[in-house]
Amino acid sequence: MDDLLAEGLSLMVFGMGFVVVFLTLLVIATSLMSRLVMRFEPAPVPVTAAKKGSAPAAPSGQPDDQVLIAVMTAALKKFRADRNDQ
Amino acid sequence: MEKLLSIWYASGAYNLSPGQVVMIFVGVLLLYLAINKKFEPLLLVPIGFGGILANIPQAGIAYSAVENAFYHGGPELLADLALLLGSSTADMGELKHLYAEAIPSIKAAATLLAQDAGFNNGMLYNFYSIAVKSGAAPLLIFMGVGAMTDFGPLLANPRTLFLGAAAQFGIFATVIGAVALTSMGVMNFSIQEAAAIGIIGGADGPTAIWVSTMLAPHLLGAIAVSAYAYMALVPMVQPPIMRLLTTKRERKIVMSQLRHVSKREKILFPVVLLFLVALLLPDAAPLLGMFCFGNLMRECGVVDRLSDTAQNALINIVTIFLGLSVGSVLIADKFLDLQTLGIMILGIVAFAVGTAAGVIMAKIMNWMMGGNAINPLIGSAGVSAVPMAARVSNKLGLEANPQNFLLMHAMGPNVAGVIGSAVAAGVMIKFVG
Repeated sequence: MDDLLAEGLSLMVFGMGFVVVFLTLLVIATSLMSRLVMRFEPAPVPVTAAKKGSAPAAPSGQPDDQVLIAVMTAALKKFRADRNDQ
Repeated sequence: MEKLLSIWYASGAYNLSPGQVVMIFVGVLLLYLAINKKFEPLLLVPIGFGGILANIPQAGIAYSAVENAFYHGGPELLADLALLLGSSTADMGELKHLYAEAIPSIKAAATLLAQDAGFNNGMLYNFYSIAVKSGAAPLLIFMGVGAMTDFGPLLANPRTLFLGAAAQFGIFATVIGAVALTSMGVMNFSIQEAAAIGIIGGADGPTAIWVSTMLAPHLLGAIAVSAYAYMALVPMVQPPIMRLLTTKRERKIVMSQLRHVSKREKILFPVVLLFLVALLLPDAAPLLGMFCFGNLMRECGVVDRLSDTAQNALINIVTIFLGLSVGSVLIADKFLDLQTLGIMILGIVAFAVGTAAGVIMAKIMNWMMGGNAINPLIGSAGVSAVPMAARVSNKLGLEANPQNFLLMHAMGPNVAGVIGSAVAAGVMIKFVG
């Protein structure tokens, strides 16, 4: 019976100890990783974001809008015409 | 007349045993809790219904081919089975015991013998062997949970991982509780059983099921049911403990806004975690490996279809099979036991201790850093139970200060708790498995 209790106690001490050690290492590794990423991040990202954001948006946006407006105007006309018929 | 009698002898009403009546009642109770009280309905509905199905007399839905042969086979078949198991007894209990103890090759032979005689595995038994016994279902659920988890709040404030670690104290304290009860002669738990019961304190259903299939499969039903029932009780169990351990001033602490976390950090985090697991604790690799895989699918942004399936369709399918399988072990002779009562009591103790440890750890961290950086209310979210525990922290924070939103801050320790309980599970399996 006492063996079991001793086994339980050692499981608690080692188990809890291991969980704390593991998560402490994870805190260190995560902080390190974040710091590394942030050191290399700021330079390239805004440039690529700006390129990707501005270049394709301008040409593709306007014709789509014009088509959309045309379609919507036509639909609205049809809707009004239908309602007047009734 | 003879035909009428034979119908009566084959009917459920004639064969219903008192144990089965009680277990069907337990199944109905679980359904009531799920439907009326909204206790973890996604799991308790399948579990409760599976429990009812498993206890329908004569149907043998939850029994293996051999068990069905034991109950319904003729005397000759029973004699053959007894011979195979190296005994000449005709006593059912003795035979079942011999079969349970038999080595796999004998079990396989007995299964073939039973199948030759026309007996087959019940449907729920098949679900159980494929989904739970193999370990597949809890791991797939963990993948889905990984795909649903946003590590942003944790990455913004990695120190909250300590809160997730502290809350795992509930797991280990419960192991001591179970062992102490055994020492005092009140209960009778082996160290493996004690470890499996302790995991309930991790407040993480799939982890609890995974550990108990590895360490104490015969306790699976009781452990899974109490784990999910107590997860549903988080909003009731935690607040009194949290109020008791914190002052009003502490509850009012406003935490500074979390920094922005870049996409690259989120992609790298599961990889870092997986490396640590591989280096330090391979026993936790199945659980945390699937978790990291799910999370990487979510964050990498190039496999949205897979991530979407993992966190919706797949996890729902697996939940149905897992629930029914867990229900299938709610059989009278396995569940109606003093041990089940002990598990229920120890489970809630595990929960309470974990909550208290998280809150106390938050206070210790404040004290060590000499400031008021952390609202101790988020410590309780270190028991996983995502996202209920974090919502409870948020609710108590708002009670103390209507402008204080702690939800995002509490999500950090909350997901840390998932990692912490998976690590604790790996440690248990390494030490006592």
